[in-house]
Amino acid sequence: MNRLLARALTRLYPSAWRERYGAEFEMHLVDGPGGLGAAVDVAWAAMKERMFPTRGGNMERPVYSFGAVMKRPSALVPVAMSVTALLLVIGPIPFYGVPVREPDEGTIAHLWQILMAGQLPVLLFFAITWLRRAPRQALGVLAVQAGAVLAAMAPVFYFNL
Amino acid sequence: MRSTQYVVDDENGAGLGHYSDPPLLVLASLASGPKHGHAMIEDIAGMCGTRLGPGTLYGAIARLEQQGWIEPLEPEERRQPYRITEDGLRVLGAKLATLHQFAKAGLKRLAANQEAL
Repeated sequence: MNRLLARALTRLYPSAWRERYGAEFEMHLVDGPGGLGAAVDVAWAAMKERMFPTRGGNMERPVYSFGAVMKRPSALVPVAMSVTALLLVIGPIPFYGVPVREPDEGTIAHLWQILMAGQLPVLLFFAITWLRRAPRQALGVLAVQAGAVLAAMAPVFYFNL
Repeated sequence: MRSTQYVVDDENGAGLGHYSDPPLLVLASLASGPKHGHAMIEDIAGMCGTRLGPGTLYGAIARLEQQGWIEPLEPEERRQPYRITEDGLRVLGAKLATLHQFAKAGLKRLAANQEAL
């Protein structure tokens, strides 16, 4: 098989698999007959390896603690955005009293909307990346993120803003 | 999860295909001595007519190695040979015994069926 194609096909596998088998697998492909059937077989096997990674021995996944996952930027940023949105609403209350609903939403309302909508892609990225790697810890972080979203929305609904 | 299979058909398939349980085929191939990937493919093709594709073969190799049923030897030039471990031999023996029992029972029923006809 062509060396470039062998390399490209090997890159379809997850990095942990490539780290252990990548070099010898690439050599195996280069020394083999190649062809469409072989390429399809490799692509299919790589896809299955990504969906159901090989476990055990030296292929065991690293153990992530909840704290380690929570410290990831994609975990922290949505929480920080929700907290900021919450502070934008309740922060002025001690100084200016309970806000009232106005026809013109104003800067704070727009900022709140940007913060709440802007965290959605980050949340999605976190869920896609970490639910596979560390499902239990990722679910915990998603619960924290959901709690922060609800906390940011609570005063808006409570004060009917 | 079983590995994928890339099976080359030939005339004796009779529409039923070949026996293809890649991890078991790899274990059976290594039972006759250490081999590298291409040697395993040829050996398995000669043994049962199933030609494993490279992805299927390495899927099986990875799972067998991580379960401790085969182990890598020192690389020979560009090739990586593997050998079966004691545990692998035990697993192979158990699986083949089950298959043997199944084949025996199946053949017995087939014979009884043919006698009845």
